[in-house]
Amino acid sequence: MESNKFVVGLWDHEEVYLHAIGHIRKKGIAIYESLTPFPVHGLENALGYRDTRLHTTAFIFGATGTTLALTFMTWVMTYNYPLNVGGKPYWPLPSFIPITFELTVLFSAWGMTLTYLVRNKLWPGRVPRIFDKRTTDDRFALVFDAEQLTEAQKNEIKSLCTSEGAVEVKDKVFAENEGL
Amino acid sequence: MKETFEFTAKLKRTLFYMMGAGVVGILILLLYPHNQHARLWSNILACTYYFTGIGLFGMFAVSAGQIAYGSWQTLEKRIFLSLSSFARIGGFMLAGILILGVLGVHNLYEHVHTITHSPVTPETTTKMIYFAPAFWIGRVLVYATLWCIFSIVLNNFFARTDQTDPKVYKRSKLLCAAFIVVFAVTESAISWDMIMSLDTGWYSTLFGWYNFASYGCAAWAMTILLVIYLKSKGYLERVNENHVHDLGKLLFGFSIFWSYLWFDQFMLQWFANIPEETSFWVKRFGTGYFKFTIFLALAINFLFPLLFLMKRGAKRNFKVVGFAAAMLIVGHYIDFFNYTFVESGWNKEAVEAKKKEALKGSEKVVLYAQAAEEKKGTTTDATPAKENTAAVASEVKEAKKGEAEGGEEAEKPELTFSGIGIAEMLVFTGFLGVFLFMFFNNLAKRPIIPENDPYLKENEKLEVIYS
Repeated sequence: MESNKFVVGLWDHEEVYLHAIGHIRKKGIAIYESLTPFPVHGLENALGYRDTRLHTTAFIFGATGTTLALTFMTWVMTYNYPLNVGGKPYWPLPSFIPITFELTVLFSAWGMTLTYLVRNKLWPGRVPRIFDKRTTDDRFALVFDAEQLTEAQKNEIKSLCTSEGAVEVKDKVFAENEGL
Repeated sequence: MKETFEFTAKLKRTLFYMMGAGVVGILILLLYPHNQHARLWSNILACTYYFTGIGLFGMFAVSAGQIAYGSWQTLEKRIFLSLSSFARIGGFMLAGILILGVLGVHNLYEHVHTITHSPVTPETTTKMIYFAPAFWIGRVLVYATLWCIFSIVLNNFFARTDQTDPKVYKRSKLLCAAFIVVFAVTESAISWDMIMSLDTGWYSTLFGWYNFASYGCAAWAMTILLVIYLKSKGYLERVNENHVHDLGKLLFGFSIFWSYLWFDQFMLQWFANIPEETSFWVKRFGTGYFKFTIFLALAINFLFPLLFLMKRGAKRNFKVVGFAAAMLIVGHYIDFFNYTFVESGWNKEAVEAKKKEALKGSEKVVLYAQAAEEKKGTTTDATPAKENTAAVASEVKEAKKGEAEGGEEAEKPELTFSGIGIAEMLVFTGFLGVFLFMFFNNLAKRPIIPENDPYLKENEKLEVIYS
């Protein structure tokens, strides 16, 4: 169940923004989303994100490609339709290696890309939820999930953001299932 | 915080012991009852070439970083530059090996023999112009002089106190660009002159590149080990796991690059099956030991870093990355061993005896002689030599054995030696001692960290986030 009510704080400077994230997390307030116009150095540490596991997917997809290429070529060249090519053996491993390499790279690249897109819900036709259009221009946004919060808690977050240097704090409410 | 490296008497003594081990190794080879001359000179050639390459790559790493506005290597700059101190004498040692070869002290280079003793065959005609002794030794001397000059000039230049001055900075870029040009030419050419020419008939068009990758792996590995050593002694306080991570990534990348070139070279020659190219591989895969060392080198230099260094944690852990670096230094020595030792392992006297025997007219050997004549395109009517009957008899046996093994093998006498023995390890240790002595000696002259470098502040804050 996705939330529909949010509190959005907007900053105009990355350093202030990074410090604010540290202070807000120390208060025990969960941050739903962080949106910046460019990659901010050290942001993932400040947000306490775990290391990405995309490498592991790359390895798994790559290993799949290697296995598939080797088994398929072995099946074709050695068992199904053995051909004598230039007097080379029926299982010419060295000439399989370039294709195996290519397929490994292809599988891991495509696998990583697709995993990334699916994980970030970036499939075609999806309408994204936009918290503030200026996050692609000059504003750094912190989004808090306000579905379960009382009015008092919301106000507390808002005043905290303002005291941490937010230039603007606002409520953002989406219609049911709008842009999911 | 200690700023300038102190070359302690204890360390000096350790390095002298290592050099002593090298001398013992050379003495073993000199005094060994059999003809071990080729083995001795192969050892010296492989080690000199290897450590000269590491030194050259040290200068290259600094130059490439400098012209690319790089900041990642600033704290290790003096280490890279100090690696090059061996290249100051290494080039001249290589030229010395060639001079001794032309003078007939050793027989590593087959084509010297061809020039002086037998008519030039069509397949080597153009090569013989390139390998005319004066031109050959002359150009190696030119490379050696250039390396020596650049090593001294770069070391002095990066010790200047006014490096933040834009004019001086610009001049440093020019200097580094000049070195890259010199390096690109001399590095390829020295690999042809010293290693590829060991097998006169063999061509490999990516050999310069391949050697570059080998130097690269060895130089990154050596730098990692030296950084870890210096940190353990309390120097280089500002170097942390981020810097080692960068070096580890380069080590990993160059290992994969090396494997790519190794496989390229092998696969194309395996597939094309051109005689003068395949003879190179027949010599290696034909002898059991070298087949083993070839695959050993491939396992250490490719599979080991691929599986061991891929994870982020491995590159940031000093113990793990240090172990990998040490393995790769040995692995790339084994690689050069494969190139040098097989080619120079043929027994010179056995070659002569076999030639004489070939003309005697025994059934098996007639075939050999015919094959040799067809290959050389010449006929010789010499009288059979009667002396040294026992040796000749053994040669016949070997010729027959060779015949049974395969055509290419039959034309070559047996190897006089094979394998990495205690002598190889001792000589390698000795050269490592000389290399490290020159390294530490150079490092102790100036502060380790280049305080005046414009990129120092940026490098101190280096943070490696990905991979």
